[in-house]
Amino acid sequence: MSEENSGLQRTLLEERSRELFQDSVERIDMRTRSRLTRARHAALEAALDARPARAWFMRMPVLTSAAGVAAAMVLGLSLWVHAPAVHHGAPPADASNFEDLDIVASSDNSQDNVEMLQDDLDFYAWAEKTAGGEPAA
Amino acid sequence: MSGFGTLTAAWMVADSPAPATRGVVLEQTRALDKFLAEIERRAFRMAQMALRDPDDAMDVVQDAMLKLARNYATRPSEEWRPLFYRILENGVRDLQRRRTVRKRFMTWLPGPKEDPDHEAQDPLDSVADTAPAVPDILMQDQAMQKLEASLRELPPRQREAFMLRNFEGLDVAETATAMGCSQGSVKTHYSRAVHTLREQLGEVW
Repeated sequence: MSEENSGLQRTLLEERSRELFQDSVERIDMRTRSRLTRARHAALEAALDARPARAWFMRMPVLTSAAGVAAAMVLGLSLWVHAPAVHHGAPPADASNFEDLDIVASSDNSQDNVEMLQDDLDFYAWAEKTAGGEPAA
Repeated sequence: MSGFGTLTAAWMVADSPAPATRGVVLEQTRALDKFLAEIERRAFRMAQMALRDPDDAMDVVQDAMLKLARNYATRPSEEWRPLFYRILENGVRDLQRRRTVRKRFMTWLPGPKEDPDHEAQDPLDSVADTAPAVPDILMQDQAMQKLEASLRELPPRQREAFMLRNFEGLDVAETATAMGCSQGSVKTHYSRAVHTLREQLGEVW
């Protein structure tokens, strides 16, 4: 009987203390809750910074930006060398750059061209951010 | 949670893993965030009860979060809870050890010496309670204060076993992992803790 009583008291103590503890947890003030949330985000962010799984070229911002500049230079040089020599002769009076745009826009794969252009813009925006040391989002 | 969204996106893009890995990383980050959000308040209260200082408790919890996220994020999520509490308890113990050393060092310095029996007591504890009414919340507070005082009287390992088993709900095996001891030791520590607490609080409650 005394063992049963002892066991009951023991269980009551465990339940009561658990209840009190949970109650005190729920009454933690907002400032502390906010600090805990910030601490959690900081911990996750620090863990991300510590991850070693990045590709080797992503860990070298200088190399990445240099590669971007080199690619841009090659592209520019290529366009300059292969550009038609329109400056050697006078353009026809009715010729207009807008005609070229119309041709591009009216071609069957115009949507593809726009998408490719958009991809390039996204890439350069990303490369600029990466070179600046910011994580690309 | 917008910060978290940006965070996960940054992780995924910066690492540029294979598509299958991205999904795993995203899932893992979300799971870890959810896990930490679920336990952070209880962990803070437990650290606060052991250290009696909210700022120290916050530091220890933050450090435990950081170490778990850095070192064990890739482990199965079932292992996170005992690992987190092991880190937390180590942090609490380290801080208590540093305090002891600091206290010893301070006693060498000239100046008024503290009475070791009363040095840890809050002066407010001795102030008479003149509250006119005794609402439920105050009774809860008083009961909790008694529980905290009794827990602080326990040997550290018994206190750890009691809090992890009873407050956090870890089973014996998880508690053993968290405390870095055998399951038999956990049972012994827990049983002694309950026995002592029942002697101190049983009649009051």
